[in-house]
Amino acid sequence: MEFLDSLILGFSTAATPTNLLFCLMGALLGTLIGVLPGIGPTATLAILLPITFFLPPLAALIMLAGIFYGAQYGGSTTAILVNLPGEASSVVTAIDGYQMAKQGRAGAALAVAALGSFFAGTVSTLGLAIAGPALATLALSFGPAEYFSLTIFGLLCATVLASGSVIKAIAMICIGLLLGMVGTDVNSGSERLTFGATELFDGVEFVVIAVGLFGIAEIIVNLETPELRGLIAAKISRLWPTRDDFRRAWPAVLRGTGLGTFLGILPGGGATLSAFSAYTLEKKVSRDPRRFGKGAIEGVAGPEAANNAGAQSSFIPLLTLGIPSNAVMAMLLGAMTIHGITPGPAVIQNQPELFWGLVASMWIGNAMLLVINLPLIGLWVRLLTVPYRLLYPAILLFCCVGVYSVSNRAFDVALAVGFGFLGYLFRKAKCEPGPLLLGFVLGPLLETNLRRALLISQGDPSVFIQRPISLALLVAALGLLVLMVVPAVRKTREEAFVDEES
Amino acid sequence: MLKILKTLCIGALAATVTAGTAQAEWPKDRPIEIIVAFAPGGSTDVMARAMQPYLEKELGAKIVIINKPGASGEIAYTQLSQAKPDGYTFSFINTPGYLSMQVQRKLRYDPKSIQAVARIVDDPTAFVVREDAPFKSLKELVAHAKANPKAVSVGSSGVGTDDHLATILLEQAAGVSLTHVPFPGAGETRTALLGNHITVGGLNVSEFAGGDTTNIRPLVQFSDKRAAEAPNVPTAQEQGFDVVMSSERGLAAHRDVPADIRTKFSDAVKRVVDDPQFKEQAKKLALPLAYLSGEDWEKQMPKRLQSFQEIWNKTPWVQ
Repeated sequence: MEFLDSLILGFSTAATPTNLLFCLMGALLGTLIGVLPGIGPTATLAILLPITFFLPPLAALIMLAGIFYGAQYGGSTTAILVNLPGEASSVVTAIDGYQMAKQGRAGAALAVAALGSFFAGTVSTLGLAIAGPALATLALSFGPAEYFSLTIFGLLCATVLASGSVIKAIAMICIGLLLGMVGTDVNSGSERLTFGATELFDGVEFVVIAVGLFGIAEIIVNLETPELRGLIAAKISRLWPTRDDFRRAWPAVLRGTGLGTFLGILPGGGATLSAFSAYTLEKKVSRDPRRFGKGAIEGVAGPEAANNAGAQSSFIPLLTLGIPSNAVMAMLLGAMTIHGITPGPAVIQNQPELFWGLVASMWIGNAMLLVINLPLIGLWVRLLTVPYRLLYPAILLFCCVGVYSVSNRAFDVALAVGFGFLGYLFRKAKCEPGPLLLGFVLGPLLETNLRRALLISQGDPSVFIQRPISLALLVAALGLLVLMVVPAVRKTREEAFVDEES
Repeated sequence: MLKILKTLCIGALAATVTAGTAQAEWPKDRPIEIIVAFAPGGSTDVMARAMQPYLEKELGAKIVIINKPGASGEIAYTQLSQAKPDGYTFSFINTPGYLSMQVQRKLRYDPKSIQAVARIVDDPTAFVVREDAPFKSLKELVAHAKANPKAVSVGSSGVGTDDHLATILLEQAAGVSLTHVPFPGAGETRTALLGNHITVGGLNVSEFAGGDTTNIRPLVQFSDKRAAEAPNVPTAQEQGFDVVMSSERGLAAHRDVPADIRTKFSDAVKRVVDDPQFKEQAKKLALPLAYLSGEDWEKQMPKRLQSFQEIWNKTPWVQ
């Protein structure tokens, strides 16, 4: 009953005209910046921060939070339409989503992404309301050893990301790991693979690689074939998913939501990991894994649900413990302290209208996003019929603006173009960029946590099996490895990886 | 000799002329760019954005904040050293990073081309433990570390940061051996501390004093006197260890920026720091405001630089 009272309090605070207006503004702005790759929510929040000083605290927080989850919606739009993932979490959406768009099913992909995100947002908001504090404590028990084991598990899963040959997938992961090593080593402070360039001291930006390998490479490939019509050859069949699409997508959304809600709580790469793992999971449980990479709707529904659930649940550690799990949450923490709010257990007790109001506003915001995005689908899809010679300069421009705005430097734009050519070569060699990006994201996580765990244990490797969560994850990883190697199961696996095109 | 003198004269004349024209228009000519050497959302960035409206009011000029993150500030400082010295480009500089990088690597810019304009914050380094930790004071922590070398792990915001240097200094002052565990930032350090994965969190006063302190216990602040934001936390010197370390933040410009522009800017910063409304915001952010004019701040730097050089000579913190 107490829980219901709290929710009612939350909705009555969030549903005032002012708060609704700011919620709408945040969601709209978020969608917009999500559509533009590179102009991420962190930078937007930073620019808007001084303005929020003059707003009431709750309205400010509602708007800032809206920008964050709105961007998750917008990010998938470009990933599906033009193979341009704006953020780490929408990379996997691009794999099958873009294939769907090419087959004339962009409308279905966008609709499923929006509906799946809404459902996931609803569930994880409820989760935040019910089990927030308890979940946050669980997240705290993840130390270096646990992260290491989780990453091992994630990397093994990465081989499943590819739809082509396993050997090539592993090679791509290794290239990703190498790229992840560029920059200043966190543990010793020494430079690695920087070739003396200060621009590389902090490594390569994720957006630079993603925009290069996906966006720019895609443009080069498309320009190869002299096609003056739209981006897609196939006729746009319908805007709404078919009954069969819904039947396939529904369970994927459920699984993605579960994974995302849990992984999103973890500080660090949680939200990104959730999208990748959701894709892996879908491919694993599918009766016909060959469809993945060729426009499987589960490959859109699962990761989209997971990244939105992850975005919502990353509020849990912030609101309950005052711990920001990523850069956006750090901005929100800054905004809160400027307004004199101290995030932590005390907020729920002392300012319940603030905590519950924010939680309720997230649900309202998600509903608004659905209303905003569904009618827009028709418009987006029509964009694909624009002649490519007109469309690609615009895409290229957005790529450059986006990449430049990450750190405000031209070096990154040149680097992205370089990755574009590399991506084109990969395409010609039938190597897929998905596993490379996962290696790039997970590599540094793996290394720093391994070394951190060993530093703390003073060089004793048994920490990895002494800690129960870590042990469980390692056993699961071992299980996965056995599944891959054991000959009896091998046949089915080869089915999953068979390279039909070769 | 005469030729050199002549060139010098012309140079000086040219400098006065250009300074004269800039001076007439400054700061109304165009927006003033302030470079933040760190990503949006970091504590320097949040402080910069909190100051922005106040500084705009004081100067009567538009201010644009530009984030140029990377290489612990070197990219921003390089850009500042290459900017036109017309008073329209300033950058935040943070110690000890600004000084320690001069010791630890060959830089792509000449530190002499940059001049401090105003110090804004002096944020003491502090050691924080979990509330249920057995240590009640720095003395007890040191005793434990003496009995168990390397068993005490200290999380820091990275190699060469003030937390890390304070750890090294304490090791030398107390004759103990600690395990330094670098994290990418204070947020991660705090999380690891709350999850009981490290013994001590190396944080700055502003990083815990403004927040929720129900689960943590600050043991020591490495300042010469207790910060107003943390009046109950004893200093290291009070507890018998002569270690002083803090993270200072302020503004700098190209050395060739005319002195009167620097002074005007510095005075405007001082008025912002004294503004009661800004003070109220700074208090919420737990910023230990400590204004110093550029000249006074620069006077302190050689001594600190020298002490970093000494630490480096004994224990280079980058292998």
